[in-house]
Amino acid sequence: MLIEQCAYANRLRLVTPAAKGIFCLCGVIASFSAGTPAAACGVAAALASVTVLGAGIPMGRYLRVAAPALLFLGTSALTLAVSLTPESLNNGFSIRIERTSVQAAAQVVGRSLGGLAALLFLAMTTPLTDIIGLLRRLRTPETLLDIMVLCYRTLFVFSEAVRETTTAQSARLGYATTRHALRSMGILTANLTVQVWQRSQALHVAAMSRNGDGPLRFLEHDHHHSARDCFVFLAGGSLIIFLSQVLS
Amino acid sequence: MSEKIKDNIFELQDVCFRYPDGSRGLEQCSLSIHSGSRTAVLGANGSGKTTLFLHFNAILRPQSGTIVCSGNPLNYSRQNLHALRSRIGLVFQNPDSQLFSASVREDVSFGPLNQGINKQTVRERVEEALCSVGMIDCAEKPVHNLSHGQKKRVCIAGVLAMQPDIMILDEPMAGLDHSMQNDLEILLQRLHADGMTILLATHDIDFAYRWADRILLMDQGQDVVSCTAADLSKETEQLHALGLGIPNVIQLHRLLAAKGLLPPGERQPLSFTELVGFLEQRL
Repeated sequence: MLIEQCAYANRLRLVTPAAKGIFCLCGVIASFSAGTPAAACGVAAALASVTVLGAGIPMGRYLRVAAPALLFLGTSALTLAVSLTPESLNNGFSIRIERTSVQAAAQVVGRSLGGLAALLFLAMTTPLTDIIGLLRRLRTPETLLDIMVLCYRTLFVFSEAVRETTTAQSARLGYATTRHALRSMGILTANLTVQVWQRSQALHVAAMSRNGDGPLRFLEHDHHHSARDCFVFLAGGSLIIFLSQVLS
Repeated sequence: MSEKIKDNIFELQDVCFRYPDGSRGLEQCSLSIHSGSRTAVLGANGSGKTTLFLHFNAILRPQSGTIVCSGNPLNYSRQNLHALRSRIGLVFQNPDSQLFSASVREDVSFGPLNQGINKQTVRERVEEALCSVGMIDCAEKPVHNLSHGQKKRVCIAGVLAMQPDIMILDEPMAGLDHSMQNDLEILLQRLHADGMTILLATHDIDFAYRWADRILLMDQGQDVVSCTAADLSKETEQLHALGLGIPNVIQLHRLLAAKGLLPPGERQPLSFTELVGFLEQRL
């Protein structure tokens, strides 16, 4: 929901998704071509600045969206840098931090941060509808796109169903005790399973009634100044790649 | 082919349909829908209204009996279904069951693109349809950010963009506030004035009486009454039996006639505005 809110309310909302896609790709290339972890981190910082300062995404929201990925990255880096080695003398384990492991972890962290910042730029400035449109123009297989569209739409339908059911259960003391809460959650899960099936049937019938016979065909959005936007963002992306090489 | 059949867009003859769980959908249902009419279908929940509509759009097929469309028995071949569903637009009761695209503009474009129309024409139709339902400002919005009423309007736009001859709406007023109901009624009047045949299901007897020129009463999968709106006052017994009640304007007219304020033999007014007109003439 946070990503969704940002994507619809930022200064780059009306920029063609192709331009933002190009910039994101340049960001990923810059992160992976950076020779040192510091250069990759510099790329990540530059990309994050463009997202926060350029697109006007509040820093707090940006960090909240990035937090799960950062947590995962931190855990992975720790396991890369630190190794547990069994000791034969006293049947224990020794914790070892080797220089090569730390370097490898720093490299992974730097590149991952750059990649994450590039993808967050795209995700937080571009609504999924635009991203799907872009993927469609890039000739992504129809089936994949149809699944994306349906998942995106049903995500909100089900989150609403979950909210309504949970409210109805709470109003009748469904979550008053741990035991009741477990029971209510079980009922909610069972109920949702039935709803998934019923709603998928209903959507199928609705598609048939409008001559839907397979692929979901939608009109793509027209963006003004597409060529100008693409040129500007390509220039920006190239600058970031150049920066990554200078810092290396 | 008789002239009578030509004037009917749909004719159902003894149509039966049962759902796989054995529950009744339609039972020996015979009725006709007149071309160019505004038809309201009334009946309790489970009386077969939605099942009937799904038959018109050929989503469901009768297990026995026949459906005649514009003088020809319905043909369920792929090509014919495509043509039929382009002519018959169906708006479902629950908008969340109908809207599956991510944004409003995309969803409205789904039907016309399936008709094989070129993109420029589809673009124009989408704009036009969204303007007619007053949703052009929300064209780029994601569907899940819309209110229930707005979603309903998008559903209608999605069907309007296909430019059907007949529009079928399953309980279109359900869940709408008073202002949105008025807007929808005006839209339906305009579409009908433009030559569209409109068929809708409703539980609101006052709205049905005021808006429709023909009324069908459904009960247990059958059409038990089929009459003009003007003749609905003669079906008091059936209306009571189905728990639908009598339109308020008829009740008031009868009361005024009983009190001697209006002559008893006078034509029944279809709306309160008409009734006020009668009173002004009289007083």
